[in-house]
Amino acid sequence: MNRRAFLGLTGAALAGGAFAGWTLLANGPQALLLSARDDAAGRHYAVGYRLDGSRLFATRVDERCHDVVAHPYLPMALFVGRRPSTQSYLIDTRDGRLLQTLESPAQRHFYGHAVFHKGGEWLYATENDTSDPGRGVLGVYRLDGERLQRTAELSSHGIGPHQLLWLPDGETLVVANGGIRTEADSRVEMNLEAMDSSLVLLRRDGRLLSQERLPQRQNSVRHLALADDGTLVSGQQYMGDPHDDAPLLAIKRPGQAFQPFPLGEAQRLAMNQYCASLAIHSELRLLALTAPRGNRFFVWDLDTAEVRLDVPLPDCAGVGAVAEGFVVSTGVGRCRHYDCRGARIQSQPLQLPAGLWDNHLRLA
Amino acid sequence: MIRSPFTLALLGLALGACTPADPQQRVSAALADGVLLPAYSSWAEADRQLAASGQAFCGGTQELGEARQVFLAAQSAWAGLQPLLLGPLAEGNRAWQVQFWPDKKNLVARQVEGLLRNKPQLTPADLDKSSVVVQGLTAYEYLLFDPAIDLDDAAQKARYCPLLVAIGQHQQALAADVLGQWQAEDGMAAQLKVFPNQRYAEAPEAVAELLRTQVSALDGLKKKLGTPLGRQSKGQPQPYQAEAWRSNASLASLAAGLASAERIWHGAELDGMQALLGSQHDDLKQRLDGAYSDTRQRLAALQRPLGELLADEAGRQELNALYDSLGSLHRLHEGELAKTLGIQLGFNAHDGD
Repeated sequence: MNRRAFLGLTGAALAGGAFAGWTLLANGPQALLLSARDDAAGRHYAVGYRLDGSRLFATRVDERCHDVVAHPYLPMALFVGRRPSTQSYLIDTRDGRLLQTLESPAQRHFYGHAVFHKGGEWLYATENDTSDPGRGVLGVYRLDGERLQRTAELSSHGIGPHQLLWLPDGETLVVANGGIRTEADSRVEMNLEAMDSSLVLLRRDGRLLSQERLPQRQNSVRHLALADDGTLVSGQQYMGDPHDDAPLLAIKRPGQAFQPFPLGEAQRLAMNQYCASLAIHSELRLLALTAPRGNRFFVWDLDTAEVRLDVPLPDCAGVGAVAEGFVVSTGVGRCRHYDCRGARIQSQPLQLPAGLWDNHLRLA
Repeated sequence: MIRSPFTLALLGLALGACTPADPQQRVSAALADGVLLPAYSSWAEADRQLAASGQAFCGGTQELGEARQVFLAAQSAWAGLQPLLLGPLAEGNRAWQVQFWPDKKNLVARQVEGLLRNKPQLTPADLDKSSVVVQGLTAYEYLLFDPAIDLDDAAQKARYCPLLVAIGQHQQALAADVLGQWQAEDGMAAQLKVFPNQRYAEAPEAVAELLRTQVSALDGLKKKLGTPLGRQSKGQPQPYQAEAWRSNASLASLAAGLASAERIWHGAELDGMQALLGSQHDDLKQRLDGAYSDTRQRLAALQRPLGELLADEAGRQELNALYDSLGSLHRLHEGELAKTLGIQLGFNAHDGD
């Protein structure tokens, strides 16, 4: 096909009103994208889509969810309630069947994040002890058949914990204690003048291994991403003056201290003091970040900190690594695929529904 | 991480192959050519004149009164860009370089004086490396209008002129750079006309961003009026927190912003957002037209500068009525218009999740 014919065909396809794209040759199973999503009427769903746009499920749920945690080997995932929700939803990822509505106990609510232990039997979720608002706990849940049962609770060793991850050993938890107190049924900050945010490493039995802080008290450590070699990156939101110079990304390389990631001034300013989701591509050694207040999506070289991509993307939300690079969702527009293998990163819109995607996506 | 290769379904990889019959594309393109590009061009021209005026005034060939008029034109051109603030000027901190507002702590005065103490022989290169607080129109206005500065005094004029000239040049260069990014072959204007492109996957994304920008500017106009009115401070008026209070250009700036917002709605030739509403939405169209007209007339009816209106009860009543009118206008866009057009203005709260 020559170029003119190709253009003509594409034009005709668009004129037909369909998003009639073309499909690259299939040579393997497609990634399953899991995310919380709303519809235009404000109803909440737990959804699973293939990246070609085909929908596996969209299961209506009562409360809005945030992150999704897939079981390490079973076809199920927990869609974790967005703070201050008291519900999370265990979903069969083959057909979207709701296996369990997981209720937090009295005086606890979810913070939107959880992790399954690699053995598949245990799940840990960050929670707020609303009897002592902001006191961070990790709810410990045991998977029994198709149900999660809360069996214990650990301290997060901080206030307002948000995301948590495993270090590569699969036994050490890393927790971002955001440092912000909020009460039950509320998202209003109570302690902006007395915030205490920290990055905590702890064993599965709750034993504290380390606790590190960034210099500015009002810099809230919230989101995390980890490379296969144990390099850990955190994304912050800064609650102080919009003009202050705060490290919005920080890094902890294996065996080293938690410290600011060398961020260019132009990128830092473009973020409007706010990081949302992070993802690391371990093979390509790339770090990706959505910065929805600045409406920008970034990719850096994880080792040299060189900026690889700095592009506008309104209300960008979840980001996850795929073989070629990253997939990014947004609250207001089309999801994008970024092919990061070449010298120049190429982006393409995906044929997924546009907008209303919540802050995190997971590829299973 | 997914390791296996996967099938990737892409939207039409059209290289400039969109149909002009698509109403969303038509509106986006019409607004780019008929409203946004002309406004950015006018702003760049106003800043070119600002730089020339700074030099002429400091060179002794222009009177202070004339220099002030040139500033007011630049301030108005900038204020008119608020509802059009998408693309290059909305990114990378550039807008802060144009204006520093709100200035709750009078940082403009403090930083201007501090800068000139440290750099009495200030050069444009020095200014480029300085804080955004002193690079923009707010600092320029401070130099020309602040009651503590007397530019008729030769010594003071000599002291402040290097900064005046440098700000003019900084603004001219910034505006020329931004306009260049709008006019470039694959620049911002092209990205509002041909889809998909590096910025927008499809025309509805562009239309959505145009509406979001307009709605956020209407909210911004409310803040620019509400802050001095004391709407955020228990009703206590805060005249020095108004935009452009030193030059009494607060209300003129509001009017320029409102006029641009209305141009996004109407378009240059009735081909703006309103063209996306079919005849079944005539009622909404009429209410939007009416809301613009009401706000515009209330603003035009104000006979005194903002500072004076804030000082007495009758004035505050007029301003509160204007504020409420702006509120209705904003709500109509944010609610009914966005819903009718099927546009998601925002979704994620950006407050800690």
